[in-house]
Amino acid sequence: MAPKRIGVIATIYRYLSHAQHFADRFIVGYPYEGRWHRPNIQIVSLYVDQKPEGDQSADRAREFGFSVYPTISEALRCGGDELAVDAVLLIGEHGEYPRNEKGQVLYPRYEFFKECVKVFEEDGRAVPIYNDKHLSYNFEKAQEMVDDGHRLEFPILAGSSLPVTWRLPDVELPLDCEIESALMIGVGGSDPMDYHALEAMQCMVERRKGGETGVKAVQLIEGDAVWEAGEAGRWPKELLEAALSRCDSPGGLTKEDGRTQDLLGNGELPKLVENPAAYFIERNDGLQTTLLMLNGAIGDYCFAARLKGVPDPVSTQFFLPPTPNVTYSACLVAKIVEMIMTGAAPFPAERTLVVSGMLESCLTSRIQDHQRLETPHLRVEYHAPAESHHGRA
Amino acid sequence: MTKRPKIAAIVTEYRKYSHGQHIVDRFLEGYGWNSRHHHPPMDLVSLYVDQHPEGDLSGDRAERFPRMKIYPTVADTLTLGGSDLAVDGVLLIGEHGSYPTNEKGQHLYPRYELYKQIVSVYKTTGKTAPVFNDKHLSWNWDWAKEMYDISQEMDFAFMSGSSLPVTWRTPSVDMPLGARVREALCIAIGGVDSYDFHALETIQCMVERREGGEKGVKWLQAYRGDKFWEAHHAELWSRELFEAALSRSHTLTPSRQGFNNIFPTLDEMKQLVEDPIAYQYEHLDGLKATMILMNGLVHDFNFAAQLEGQDVPFSTQMYLPMPPARTTLANFFSPLVNNAEKMFLTGVATYPVERTLLTTGLVAAGVESLFQDQTRQETPHLNISYQPTEESTFWRT
Repeated sequence: MAPKRIGVIATIYRYLSHAQHFADRFIVGYPYEGRWHRPNIQIVSLYVDQKPEGDQSADRAREFGFSVYPTISEALRCGGDELAVDAVLLIGEHGEYPRNEKGQVLYPRYEFFKECVKVFEEDGRAVPIYNDKHLSYNFEKAQEMVDDGHRLEFPILAGSSLPVTWRLPDVELPLDCEIESALMIGVGGSDPMDYHALEAMQCMVERRKGGETGVKAVQLIEGDAVWEAGEAGRWPKELLEAALSRCDSPGGLTKEDGRTQDLLGNGELPKLVENPAAYFIERNDGLQTTLLMLNGAIGDYCFAARLKGVPDPVSTQFFLPPTPNVTYSACLVAKIVEMIMTGAAPFPAERTLVVSGMLESCLTSRIQDHQRLETPHLRVEYHAPAESHHGRA
Repeated sequence: MTKRPKIAAIVTEYRKYSHGQHIVDRFLEGYGWNSRHHHPPMDLVSLYVDQHPEGDLSGDRAERFPRMKIYPTVADTLTLGGSDLAVDGVLLIGEHGSYPTNEKGQHLYPRYELYKQIVSVYKTTGKTAPVFNDKHLSWNWDWAKEMYDISQEMDFAFMSGSSLPVTWRTPSVDMPLGARVREALCIAIGGVDSYDFHALETIQCMVERREGGEKGVKWLQAYRGDKFWEAHHAELWSRELFEAALSRSHTLTPSRQGFNNIFPTLDEMKQLVEDPIAYQYEHLDGLKATMILMNGLVHDFNFAAQLEGQDVPFSTQMYLPMPPARTTLANFFSPLVNNAEKMFLTGVATYPVERTLLTTGLVAAGVESLFQDQTRQETPHLNISYQPTEESTFWRT
């Protein structure tokens, strides 16, 4: 069978940039399910928006026999006059782009995507698109991207590696479970890393009874207000203990002399966290979910939930294997390959859509005096796939 | 209310990131387990520390946990300074510290000597308590065997080994009980008489679940340097399993600049791995297993096996969240401590010490083969047979 042909549309292609991680796996293969996979897929064209120092695009093209094109439409048509690829990887992460007043990096994912859609419309054929990370920093744009996929009937796979990476332990919430409360902890800057954490939480809670019903309201609070909210019961301490129990990288006294710590019980947590932030996400079906960003205290992304009728909280760590291999991205590439080979996205882009929207609204809350904001526009409804898609085989 | 068991700890040293610190701290401070900060339902009441190098933490721990007293001798630690055995379990952690090395490169940790002091108290008091021994039993096979025999004769629960059999696995799988295993292999980081033991435990905790259980090992041969590459060329171990194990690694050194995760060619592997080592051995039932150390290529422990009736190898990684590079906590000690706790509570080892007896013998045989010009070592003394636990004992919850 002739290899599938893919075009890569990237902001930059440099060592350890997302484009390098993803595109290279199509070139040199990747480890998955105990084999070094070399999918029957060929990169035939590449567009890079920026060529900073260390740019690898020309070297890769020369060594692996594809072309770098000056525009997205030419990349999709491989220099010809009609669409000449079977799928598109859209990697709009890394590169020099401005930030807006909410602190969001204005990666041109929407703009790149619309260029692709334009080619699809002009040439009367649409192919699957993988969009790395969130769809757009702006919900309306993100919604339009998903709508384009439905309108032109091409599959969109979107999101980050968190939902598909290994979990420690390997747990999946039972489909149609009843979730009483859920909490996620994470670290890193906004808006790259809070996105990852919110998406990790989303891939868990979307499996609840009735599926995802969308977000009714959000609020982002910071500083001591986060701890006060915990005292007031706005987020469940029991779930914070559960999530912390999965952490391998606490700071403070652990760093000092190696000791294990009950960070919540010993009172160290508030001392360690630099500018704590709580992202409250209220769902339309009444479920309250919280993301706590705990920079300085931990180094992991962990989830905990209380399920109805289950005595102990369920918790897990989203395991991010180390740089440079970052084998979590191999888990994601396996899902992209699945979409390219089957023509169907393994999980719905609506997950990424709702997370894109809740993040944007949380960041709006932050600059609007940390107010609670109603989010009627985030009525994104969808059902999780029955099958699990994280690293487990 | 049932009485909380009292536990004694005998450690070579208690410094940041020494095994003594990892294990004893988990009893004192608790640790994350099953969605809680779990405090073992027992009291660590006494501690013996053989060496107090710079950075010793035992004083700090004794001060912060006054129920734990430091004693000057092993005997006092077990009797709490009295004349009778006063504890319900003993941790023996003879890893790290300044001890001599012999001509074969073995680190002469005094596990046997400390163990003998423990059982001397058992003998004089006529009472025993379960013993958990960290890592292998002794660098000296005869001593290791004696340790095992004493536990059998005196009939106390004895458990030993490293974290590898009990830590997380990616993926979270166990060898199907009763599987027909044709060949097994592990590719790991490490050196002789240290991480070779971990890699052997990685293999053994899997293959012991095969049809018929463990029967023991007939012979072992080590390969190092050029001889390793010759053996690899000659496919003395399966190339398919070799590739499967490497495909489980999360730390494959990129063999080409500018690539973050690329499968190395043989020539590239030779560039990356200066001193490759293999111990190949055959079990009494014919199973061939190979433990491979490839420093420079991987930093983790990856297992692969060919099972009868399966087209693709069975493989996984025994994952160690290892500080300080990747984490701040060596949480692979948590399942080890949890298993020790269970033994202290029930008086029954949660997995067979025969596993560790066998891997202890395999380490010694590997060291001997390397010392004897990589010649094949017959191992009639390793006719150790045992059955695995039906239930998996690795970290899954």
